[in-house]
Parts: sequence; C-alpha cells; structure tokens
Amino acid sequence: MSSPKERRSVVTGIGVIAPNGVSTDAFWKATREGISVLDVVTREGCEHLPLKVAGEVRGFDPADLIEERYLVQTDRFTHFAMAAANLALDDARLGRADYNDSPFAVGVVTAAGSGGGEFGQRELQRLWGQGSRHVGPYQSIAWFYAASTGQISIRGGFKGPCGVVASDEAGGLDALAHACRTIRRGTDAVVVGAAEAPLAPYSVVCQLGYDDLSTLDDPARAYRPFTSGACGFVPAEGGAMLVVEEEAAARSRGATVRAVLSGHAATFTGASLWEESRDGLAHAIRGALEDARCAPEEIDVVFADALGVPAADRAEALAIADTLGRHAPQVPVTAPKTGTGRAYCGAPVLDIAAAVLAMEDGVVPPTPNVVDVCHDLDVVTGRARPGELRTALVLSRGLMGSNAAMVLRKGPKSPS
Amino acid sequence: MTAQLTLDELAALMKSAAGLTVDPKELANRSESTFAEFGLDSLGLLGIVGELENRHGRPMPTDAERCKTPRDFLDLVNTSQKHTDTVPTTGA
Repeated sequence: MSSPKERRSVVTGIGVIAPNGVSTDAFWKATREGISVLDVVTREGCEHLPLKVAGEVRGFDPADLIEERYLVQTDRFTHFAMAAANLALDDARLGRADYNDSPFAVGVVTAAGSGGGEFGQRELQRLWGQGSRHVGPYQSIAWFYAASTGQISIRGGFKGPCGVVASDEAGGLDALAHACRTIRRGTDAVVVGAAEAPLAPYSVVCQLGYDDLSTLDDPARAYRPFTSGACGFVPAEGGAMLVVEEEAAARSRGATVRAVLSGHAATFTGASLWEESRDGLAHAIRGALEDARCAPEEIDVVFADALGVPAADRAEALAIADTLGRHAPQVPVTAPKTGTGRAYCGAPVLDIAAAVLAMEDGVVPPTPNVVDVCHDLDVVTGRARPGELRTALVLSRGLMGSNAAMVLRKGPKSPS
Repeated sequence: MTAQLTLDELAALMKSAAGLTVDPKELANRSESTFAEFGLDSLGLLGIVGELENRHGRPMPTDAERCKTPRDFLDLVNTSQKHTDTVPTTGA
C-alpha cells in the first residue's frame, strides 16, 4: 500500500454523520472536547426493549443534502452514507467538473454490517399485515448491504470500480483497504466508508442476542471499556465517508493531502472468542505495520477497538503490548467512541476520521466516560492531550470475529 | 369510466411512489418524453402500477410497467380500464 513506486492512497475529504455531530466540524469539536452523547433510546418502537442506551443521530434531516427521489428508495443507513459522501466530496472539493470526462476514474466502496433494517421492517410489516401486493418495489434494493455503494455511485455518476464489504465492525477498515487496492490498480479516486442505522426496532431485536451488548440504563456507565466497570458495548448509528485519492492525481488537481493510508492487515479468530482475538489482532497490527514499513516506535497514537467486554479489553491491551513492545506503555491510547457508541462498520471509519483530524490538530481526543483504567495502557481520559502526531494506528474488531488494523500517516502539507 | 387515470393523478403517484416532483402541466407538454427523462426508474413505475392495482382491486395490463412514456402508460391503463368497465369480467 505504501511503496513509493506504488500508487499511494491519500485522504483528501472527510464527511461525518455521527451521534455527536452531523458535520465533520461538529463531530470533531465534540470528539476533541470529549463530550458524551450516549443517551436513553428514544426511537419509536424501541422504548420498551432491553437495550436502554445508544448513540442516536439526532437533528439529521437527509432532505437537506439528498434529493427526495433517492430518499424514498433508501433506508436510513443509506441516507447517512449519502449525506456523509456529500460532505466528503465537498470537503475534498471533488466535483463533477473534475471527473465529467473520466467518470470511470472514480469508484465507491462501503462496508455494511446489517443493511437497511428500518426500511425492511416497514415492508415486512406490510407483507404480513396487508399482503404481498403492498410491499413496495424498492424493498428489493433498499435493505441490501450494497445499497449505499450503489446509490452513491448512481447519484454522483461514479462509474469506476465499486464494491461492498459485508462484514462486522472491522469491515470499515477492510473497505478502506479495498479502496487502496482499487487505487493501486489504476483508479484515481474512491468514495469510501461506512454508515449504519441499527436502531430500528427490528434491528435492535436482532442485536439483543449479542452477549456483549450493554443493557445498562445509565448513559454514563453503560459503555466503559478498559475499566473494572466494563459491561459491554453500546450501539450507535451513523458513520463516515472519505474521499481517498491516488496521491499524484490528488496533487495534480490541487487537493490537500490530509493523510496517507499507509498499511492494513486483517485476520479472523471467530465470534466472541475474545481471548483468541489477542493473537488475531496482534497479527493484524504486525501486518499493518509491515505494510506501512512502520516501526512500532513510530506509532504516536492508538485508536483502540475498546469493546467494553473485560476479556476483549484484556486481549486488546495484550495485543498492543505484544506488538508495540517497550513502546506500548508510552503510546497514548484513545477510544472516542465511548462518547458515541459503536456504529458497527461505521465505527472504525469514524476513528479514521478522528485520527486524521487529531494529526492535523496535534491533539489526542479523550475517551469519554472512562476513568480508572485497569489495564497497562496509557488511555487518554478526561481531556484531550496535545502532542505531535505523525502516525496513527486504528484498531477494530467485530462481534463475528474479524480483526483489523490500519496505519495512517499525517499528510505532508497538513495545516497544524 | 370515472376511474380514468389523469396526468394530475400520475404526477401525484410519481411523487408518492418515487419522490419525484413533476408539474402535471410539464407531464402534459412532454407526455411523449420517457419516464427516465422525468427521473422515474423501472422500480418507480412498478410501484405506481402496484399502487393502482391496490387502489382498484384488480391487476393492471401485464405490459403496464414496461411503458416508456407517460402517454403510453395512460393510453394502456385507460384503454384496459374502459375495456373492463364496459365488459365486466368475473373475479379479479
């Protein structure tokens, strides 16, 4: 991914729709301040379910950014992805004029963990309540994992290679890696990321089977990884989309290189086998470092997976120690997602966005709601910690057993 | 015979089924233009056909969802409408 002779993938635009902000600026301000927006679930039909606390995206009107013709045929998860893609393209100043003559030079990749549960539930209710004739035809596309990639591609006129990673949380990083491979094979730009909408009643019921789901009703205590109070994770909706471009192509159109996606690796160790995830995650970290030609000492900050399950937290702390060695106790570790919840595939992409912004601002955002860390890690708690950040390591594990790691480096011309 | 589909109704259906805001006058002026030019895709037209079937409680002609233009669609739907109104068939 990073050989100088190769086509390097750089981040030129970031678009975020998250519980703590429906724009990249709002997200970063809240993340940097360590504001927790975890709150009682208020979504209609969810109030009586055992999941009490989540990260809801509030104050988001997709019609502000996306035409109604797309909204009627898509689920909320695609609304998030399309809106975030819009923001990312604006941020990158990548418009139709840039690719009108070469639409095949721009691709789209998204990751999805569950597809369109809200849309699907509505149509299934019509099926069993009124009969098959009352199921709308857009059901055939709206709840697919692939919906967001397809709609972003259609709306933007992006005719380059498109793909979908259907996976657990780690799929968010795998989608970015797929975008890098796409660029290496000759595509100039890829709109890539993930957004999820897992808070429809049907979707929540599906998650109730996860032993790792926190059902605590106190937003300040429901999701506290790396502490003795760890009792599982809190789900969230939203996510982020990025514009990733081949470095020379980005420079030739005058785009700002925000960060370089330098290395990635992924492994699989099985669902809920958290002890085993230690070796799996460590192997992924080593692979990502090697891919990036990066020494462990070069890592200036780690964005942890931070599942909030004691065995998983222990495995992650050990994996970091196994791979970063003597550097491990010194490197700042953060998990801003404790203030928003885990948006499944969207979660690690939000971490990538935060990592780019953290390197630009020279500050490690804190880990909300977490105090008294009980692992041998330097977890940044309370308030943001200033420091020069040139290289970040982002980790992600999924409930189904995927482990992934990504190394990114600060853009050479980042404002600071 | 009172149940003839009008351009106004078609415009309203395009709004409700496919999220398209189309001025009925525009639809009248350009009734030979393709649905695609109005932004309506095949699934959108299928949704309109389904809505009409549910409304009237009987199936539309088999080719209804293959119509390319508003004019073709109105002609086909309203012809079949007239046919079934004047020569009632049994069952639905």
